[in-house]
Amino acid sequence: MSRNNEKIFQEAVHKKLLNHTRRNFLKESFMGLGGLALGGMLTSCGSNADSFANNFFDPANPLMPRAPHFAAKAKSVIYLHMAGAPSQLELFDYKPELVKLDGQSCPQSILDGKKFAFIRGVPKMLGSPAEFQQYGESGAYVSDYLPHFQSMVDEVSFLKAVSTDQFNHAPAQLLMQTGSARLGRPSMGSWVTYGLGTENSDLPAFVVLTSGGNNPDAGKSVWGSGFLPSVYQGVQCRSEGDPILFLENPEGVSSDLRKASIDAINKINQQEFDEYGDPETLSRISQYEMAFRMQTSVPEVMDITDEPAYIHEMYGTKPGESAFANNALLARKLVEKGVRFVQLFDWGWDTHGTGEAGSIDVGLKKKCGQTDQAVTALLQDLKQRGLLEETLVVWGGEFGRTPMAENREGKANAYKGRDHHGDAFTMWMAGGGIKKGVTYGETDEIGYSPISGKVDPHDIQATILNQLGFNHEKLNYQFQGRQFRLTDVAGKIIQPIIS
Amino acid sequence: MLKKPLFLISGGILPFLMYWVVACRSQQPVDYSSQIKPILNKNCIACHGGVKKQGGWSLLFEDEAKSKAKSGKYAIVPGDARASEMIRRLSLDDPEERMPFEHEALPDEEIELLTRWINEGANWGVHWAYKTIDKVAIPKINSDWTKNGIDNFVLSKAEENNLTVSEKADPNVLVRRLQLDIIGFPQNSEAKTNYSKKPTDENYELLVDELLDSPHYGEKWTSMWLDLARYADTKGYERDGNREIWRYRDWLIKAFNEDMPYDQFLTEQLAGDLLAKPTEDQLIATAFHRNTMTNDEGGTNNEEFRVAAVLDRVNTTWEATMGTTFACVQCHSHPYDPFTHEEYYKFMAFFNNTRDVDSYEDSPLLRHFDPGQEAKLNKLANHLNKRAGETETAKIINFIKTLQPSIASLESDEFVNSELSDTKWLAMRNNSSARVPGVPLKEKSTLVFSYLSNKPGGTVKILRESLNGEEIGRFKIDRSTKGWEYREINIEPSDSTSDIYLTYQNPNIKDDRTDGVKFNWFHFDTPYPDSDSKADYWNLLNAKTSTTPIMAENSAEMSRTTNVFERGSWLNKGKKVGTAVPASLNKFPENYPKNRLGLAKWMTSKENPLTARAIVNRLWEQIWGIGIVETLEDLGSQGEKPSNQALLDHLSWKLMNEYNWQLKPLLKDMFLSSTYRQSSKLDPEKIEKDPNNRFMARGPRIRLSAEQIRDQALSASGKFNPEMFGKPVMPFQPEGIWNSPYSGDKWIKSEDGQQYRRAIYTFWKRTSAYPSMMNFDATGREVCSSRRIRTNTPLQALTTLNDVVYIDLSNQMAERFAEHSPAEGISEAYLSLTGNTIDKKKQAILLELYDEALKDNQDRKAALALVMNSLLNLDEVLMKS
Repeated sequence: MSRNNEKIFQEAVHKKLLNHTRRNFLKESFMGLGGLALGGMLTSCGSNADSFANNFFDPANPLMPRAPHFAAKAKSVIYLHMAGAPSQLELFDYKPELVKLDGQSCPQSILDGKKFAFIRGVPKMLGSPAEFQQYGESGAYVSDYLPHFQSMVDEVSFLKAVSTDQFNHAPAQLLMQTGSARLGRPSMGSWVTYGLGTENSDLPAFVVLTSGGNNPDAGKSVWGSGFLPSVYQGVQCRSEGDPILFLENPEGVSSDLRKASIDAINKINQQEFDEYGDPETLSRISQYEMAFRMQTSVPEVMDITDEPAYIHEMYGTKPGESAFANNALLARKLVEKGVRFVQLFDWGWDTHGTGEAGSIDVGLKKKCGQTDQAVTALLQDLKQRGLLEETLVVWGGEFGRTPMAENREGKANAYKGRDHHGDAFTMWMAGGGIKKGVTYGETDEIGYSPISGKVDPHDIQATILNQLGFNHEKLNYQFQGRQFRLTDVAGKIIQPIIS
Repeated sequence: MLKKPLFLISGGILPFLMYWVVACRSQQPVDYSSQIKPILNKNCIACHGGVKKQGGWSLLFEDEAKSKAKSGKYAIVPGDARASEMIRRLSLDDPEERMPFEHEALPDEEIELLTRWINEGANWGVHWAYKTIDKVAIPKINSDWTKNGIDNFVLSKAEENNLTVSEKADPNVLVRRLQLDIIGFPQNSEAKTNYSKKPTDENYELLVDELLDSPHYGEKWTSMWLDLARYADTKGYERDGNREIWRYRDWLIKAFNEDMPYDQFLTEQLAGDLLAKPTEDQLIATAFHRNTMTNDEGGTNNEEFRVAAVLDRVNTTWEATMGTTFACVQCHSHPYDPFTHEEYYKFMAFFNNTRDVDSYEDSPLLRHFDPGQEAKLNKLANHLNKRAGETETAKIINFIKTLQPSIASLESDEFVNSELSDTKWLAMRNNSSARVPGVPLKEKSTLVFSYLSNKPGGTVKILRESLNGEEIGRFKIDRSTKGWEYREINIEPSDSTSDIYLTYQNPNIKDDRTDGVKFNWFHFDTPYPDSDSKADYWNLLNAKTSTTPIMAENSAEMSRTTNVFERGSWLNKGKKVGTAVPASLNKFPENYPKNRLGLAKWMTSKENPLTARAIVNRLWEQIWGIGIVETLEDLGSQGEKPSNQALLDHLSWKLMNEYNWQLKPLLKDMFLSSTYRQSSKLDPEKIEKDPNNRFMARGPRIRLSAEQIRDQALSASGKFNPEMFGKPVMPFQPEGIWNSPYSGDKWIKSEDGQQYRRAIYTFWKRTSAYPSMMNFDATGREVCSSRRIRTNTPLQALTTLNDVVYIDLSNQMAERFAEHSPAEGISEAYLSLTGNTIDKKKQAILLELYDEALKDNQDRKAALALVMNSLLNLDEVLMKS
């Protein structure tokens, strides 16, 4: 064989291998890596060529971009989780009747058959110290705790009768974020990343930002990948230290030197590929290139100093601070760059009244003060950039609070506070194909139980997936002998809030 | 009307050929498991299975399938397809009536197959994995390639698939492969040097033996088991507090190293506490099922999380030991496999009778005495044996060692002005009462309890049956306790089990808010039999010790009943059930005890079709990266088909019958086979024919595990600390990773060489697992996990490039090879990582990098460290070839 022919031959072999990886990937997409090609049977009885019914990913390129089931209204999600569970009765669910009942003993009839985390015996009713007014054309009630957000009511859909069967923080956060109250299931962002991959491979596909001094009660499991491959877990970006763990080069290694070292590694790996012919080696070469690009693109996007003064004023951000406001601004920057799922957790909303910081008249007001302006700015900023249309913003906690004052261990608490309450609480969604200025769901006169429009965490998850173009019943993964999905065996799309 | 047979509707030669194929096959009877069950699973069972039974008819069990449907018709009439409603409905043209409902009609060939199957008698078959493991004849093969039975099975399968086996791998590649597989990292040794110098079969076997005898063998194989046992050093959930359970990890390492027979290995973990006179080690083994999570969040229902732990034990037992996914049977009968909803709860009854109750302390705990204390304990035991007899002594020693049997105060209820403090401990205020239900009081005239009080002046009364009942004891609290203290009082014995009521009065407490006393647990007992040694007894009870959570069975009088949970919810209790195993598997012998010990015996009997197959499949997967059955967690009919069932059965049979369940000889067979020694080089044809290496016509080539990547780098750095066992260590971890609410736990970096311990000793926090290992696909250890899926991501690249652990080790490597010239240093380091001499081209690339780094920062060591770090990032270093 002439030298030239040999070269052509080698190129052909190389191409074939590359093609093979691709073809193998396609094959596995349909066969399922776990090989169980009976996708969706249990849940849907469907037999369409629905690629997501089976385990759908290529271990060599797990974040390759993919199209969802149908045309999406939202390209990305910013989920603002107020960990600890904010009180709906102090923020959105205006109950003048409860104010009248303040201090009276709670009627036994509404306590029967109920379980509380800390309320024991007969507690007293607790009227809200907040002042409420109607705002905007929609006339939605918002309290004086949220002076900024008042201007945004016509942009959002309120869900006033969200209901969960979990009334402890960790299980309720898990239910809200993973669809199950037990540890071990993939989080919403992981499911979305598994389904969509990423279009910007220079940034993580699923970013998590935390504030408030603690991780959420359920720990990193609320952005974990559960039984999905760990590549789909949320990547925590931090405002102090490395923005992403292990992103920064060690001391003395400049970017040029890093480039030189990755070039050297890849050259040797290419030689290894020539010898062993394993397509995984080619994949490793491209992962190292991607890592190098991330080293530039992540710090760039995480740096807010370049933002103009008016933006800082709008959000109330101070560069270098570890605060919710900074995270809100980062969320906007990240979705702007094509990140699909940005999850913010802000800790400190658990207002039992056992201390001043956890009271509904002082502590809660303070938490509102730390977030109100930034949440409002985020909506406005997304809107002015034309991004709100394609970005779904979700705000909420893991459950609500009781209309009764907490009496921990049967004793009145030292400050005004409310116990955990799963039956009825408020969340809101905006942008990404959600109706504007709508209120869906209603609670009774004291905000204790839903009267109409009751939705649960699985409904919220189904709706979020729907806005991203997924049939929530068909985004499946085979594990432990059955098809799992985010919404377990439940979930109804909340149609009345979809535009 | 039946659809026309295939050969009538089309003309031409092709249909004829197809008919010929069908006709030829028809000389063999249709096989249910391989030909019929897949069709039913795919098309029918979603609506006629364990979950839904449309038309009152299900295909899951033979008796149901052959019974009358709601319509009054028989879907299957054995021997008569024409009379079988199922065939009629499958063959209709009207889509309203045709089955599968609202789906495409089945292909003619499948209907034809079902028809033949019914005409042949509709013989039900058993899925291969539920059949007893028989001895398999080794395929006769005339080839000098084969070294042991494994090769005969592999070669005949490869030939069946038109694959040719690969040439033998380079000896240096083989050495590294063996080291990674057997001990988890490359290391220099005499046998290695001998084999490298003279790569004979004899030297190869000597190397295998040396590695199997290495104490590091146990560490390597324990990694596999820790994922199955969901081992972690914390309790999970919100507070995720620390849990001292590392002695269980050490037990595993020792068990693997001693090559404890696998049946014993399982028995001790599942039921060590139920063995006659269990040793301390056998009790530690039961911590296997104490790796379940405990929820310490205030306001949680302890029974809910106790039940969650029990369910987890059921699911883990099935998945880890029998490769079967049982979790779906929690809510309904298994949709595909022959396990009913009720059978789940009968199986759960084996596990529903232990003392643990989701308590903060994680009790029952085994207390570990230091040698001095141990000597005192033995002295006491000897003394008591003479005075009180063996039975009484054993009971007392057990109480000293475990503080069991005792009733946790969180089991109390009927609170009046009392409560569970933080839902953990009974707290009583002035003029309060509470009930402790179901206390075995027969012959009990002593109460030992754990309590805490800061309010002297209180009186506690103990009443039987009701608040107005007989007072059986009382005590005054006249001083503040120093934290939790134990105390003993006399009580009036009675003749039965009854509820007791506690009341508390304290005139010094003027309000109704202040807690006067808290209780942790109560132990009702006969009086201590010997006044001479009583002080020693109390000293030992009060001794500070470290502990391990263990399993402890309820006594007969305290046993729990088990109910079916309707739709899987613990709040919806259905019918009461006793212990039993699924009817579709081997029988549970009458003479076995109906407890966890009997269960372990049943699982490890040679009749059990799953246990041996499951472990053999796991061992195979550890080496090959893919099991003979790919779905390690599911050998059932929904799992993947085995790529070589005869091989799996051959090895499983051998494990039980020839090797007495010992894993080392079985592994040795695997390592000595020619199959294992093949080169792992790929070519387009091999990739095309067998992309995932299911047929083993080439050696394994897989990325190293998170643990192997760390251990290999440690070994190459020269800093490797070979110390074994003990408390978990904390190697470098970036700041701010742990931020659990309500928890003061901190990551404190280990020093003095402890930071260079093997990966397996790294502290594992469930809600915040060690990040660099998580990046390499380690599991969170929340639930049992059979397989790690190996991904390839940029975050992995960043980890080995920038994590301080790898930077430090790169610097250590630079230090280690600093005396050499850069070129020599590079080749030495390359040799220690890959076992091979570096080729000139690769060396040149790295030297060029060295020069560039030197130009950049003028620091020879820093430049060499960058090169060393690049070596750690090479594909050939991250992969096992």
